[in-house]
Amino acid sequence: MAKHEAKQEWGTRVGVILAVSGSAVGLGNFLRFPGQAAANGGGAFMIPYFCALLLVGIPIGWAEWTMGRYGGRMGMHSAPSILGIFGKGRTFRYLGVIGVLIPLAVSFYYTYIEAWCLGYFWEYLNGGIGVDTAASITDQAATAGSFYNNLTGRAANGVFTGGTLETFTFWAITFAVNIYLVFRGISKGIEKFVSWAMPAMAVCALIVLGRVLTLGTPDPLHPDQNVINGLAYMWNPNFAALSNPQTWLAAAGQIFFSLSVGFGVIINYASYMKKKDDVVLSGLTASATNELFEVGFGGLITITASFVFLGTANMIGAVQGGTFGLGFTTLPVVFAHMGAFGNFVGAIWFFMLFLAAITSSISMYQPSLAFFEEALGWGRKQSTSLMVGICLVGSFLVMYFSKGGIFWSTIDDWVGTFLIFVLAMVQIIAFSWIFGIEKGWKEAHFGAQIQIPGFYKFIMKYVTPTYLLLVFAAFCWQNLGAWVKSVADEPLRQGAVGLILGTALLLAVCTRIGEKRWRAAGMDIDGKHGPKH
Amino acid sequence: MTTLGWIFLLSSMVFVWGLTGWCYYKVLTVKGEIEIPPASLGG
Repeated sequence: MAKHEAKQEWGTRVGVILAVSGSAVGLGNFLRFPGQAAANGGGAFMIPYFCALLLVGIPIGWAEWTMGRYGGRMGMHSAPSILGIFGKGRTFRYLGVIGVLIPLAVSFYYTYIEAWCLGYFWEYLNGGIGVDTAASITDQAATAGSFYNNLTGRAANGVFTGGTLETFTFWAITFAVNIYLVFRGISKGIEKFVSWAMPAMAVCALIVLGRVLTLGTPDPLHPDQNVINGLAYMWNPNFAALSNPQTWLAAAGQIFFSLSVGFGVIINYASYMKKKDDVVLSGLTASATNELFEVGFGGLITITASFVFLGTANMIGAVQGGTFGLGFTTLPVVFAHMGAFGNFVGAIWFFMLFLAAITSSISMYQPSLAFFEEALGWGRKQSTSLMVGICLVGSFLVMYFSKGGIFWSTIDDWVGTFLIFVLAMVQIIAFSWIFGIEKGWKEAHFGAQIQIPGFYKFIMKYVTPTYLLLVFAAFCWQNLGAWVKSVADEPLRQGAVGLILGTALLLAVCTRIGEKRWRAAGMDIDGKHGPKH
Repeated sequence: MTTLGWIFLLSSMVFVWGLTGWCYYKVLTVKGEIEIPPASLGG
């Protein structure tokens, strides 16, 4: 980092907790989780879900928080440098490149999706998206689908070269706000923003939840379409689903992606903590906050509201529509049926999704910014310029090749899904096996305000890596063959993979430059001595 | 809604709201680090 620039640090404990929580709480909490639960056993889904939370999510989170703070004490803030210390050498340093690649590459399309939320919010402030409740449900869904396809550029390539510049304008605003907040710094930018955005998101969620739970039986002609039956659709357990390995895989995947573990963000955020700040309680609190939004709000709002207005017959299609189908085409139909309050609830809903998305996206820029600063020895302005340049290239490609969402979904498959598993494995092995669980355990409890139960030492060393390995193997067994084939068959997917590899190569070169600089400066980059307590 | 449905719904809500509430209570009230017996830290 340039020596004349002030050291970055979180202002408060609550600030870093809210920032990590904000990073974790995203669209998946409100849209993906309820769909997964309803399709995989309803209430019974919560058994494998909470098992995965306790055995994988929280332990990896603790490891990441601990590694981040430890690295920060040694003057390191990025995954390559910190994993080089914990993995004791070059191999893990270069594997750490994944920890910068994931947030950077995911930001290419995530900010674009964030712009959709802003676009929908704007439309609902200005009278809704034109769903006519007098038409049949099929026609209403078609209207919502058509609006979605046009706004998101699924209908044709070139979202910013089409008839209107609406989506591009929303993206430009979203991207500018993100960069401004990150450039302002950890305390003045990110912390200040999440300190109001997270409570505001909770208030929005409470308003929407309050409306949904008081819907009663809005259509007397369909008395079975009521709130209680909507909750039943989501929560009545189907225990037969527990004997299906797919249910356990879906639950582990949901926990894993939802908590932002293995994403490269927590390790970076925790590196700005003060040297004796607690990481055990902070990590648990951030995970709990994520669960509150996911189960406490996501588990009550989306499916219930959809059921009340659409009924059982239309729910199967709504759930199968997945995250985006449920959020951007099904719910607009639901809002249209809410009468006078529909546009207000719709605006609140999409503003909440926008806040959920932006608190996640700002966390995706900070790791690469920190990495460029420390690897290249550049100041904040130069590093921000480089990062913005890379993001512009990536985002423009995503927005130009918008048809069918093929380009961005390929990045999501390989980076936002596959590589997250890989990084989580790398991190837990570096922490529990190479750095050593005994040393890691002591480090985690340095400054701790609660004690981790002793049996977690065994879980972090044996259970978490095994559980992760099994889930990863099952995941690869189910998906990898089809993914590789689709890349081989589709030039657009090859382009997306090329973008990922190009970005990874650039980051690896930067790591090489950083490695030389750090060695020349006499830094302990292989973790031989550790920080001074 | 079946009885088991209510049980899963309510116990999940109690767990996530209770855990979050307890965590923030600790964050806002506990000052300084706790004393951990060296034996339980191992090594």
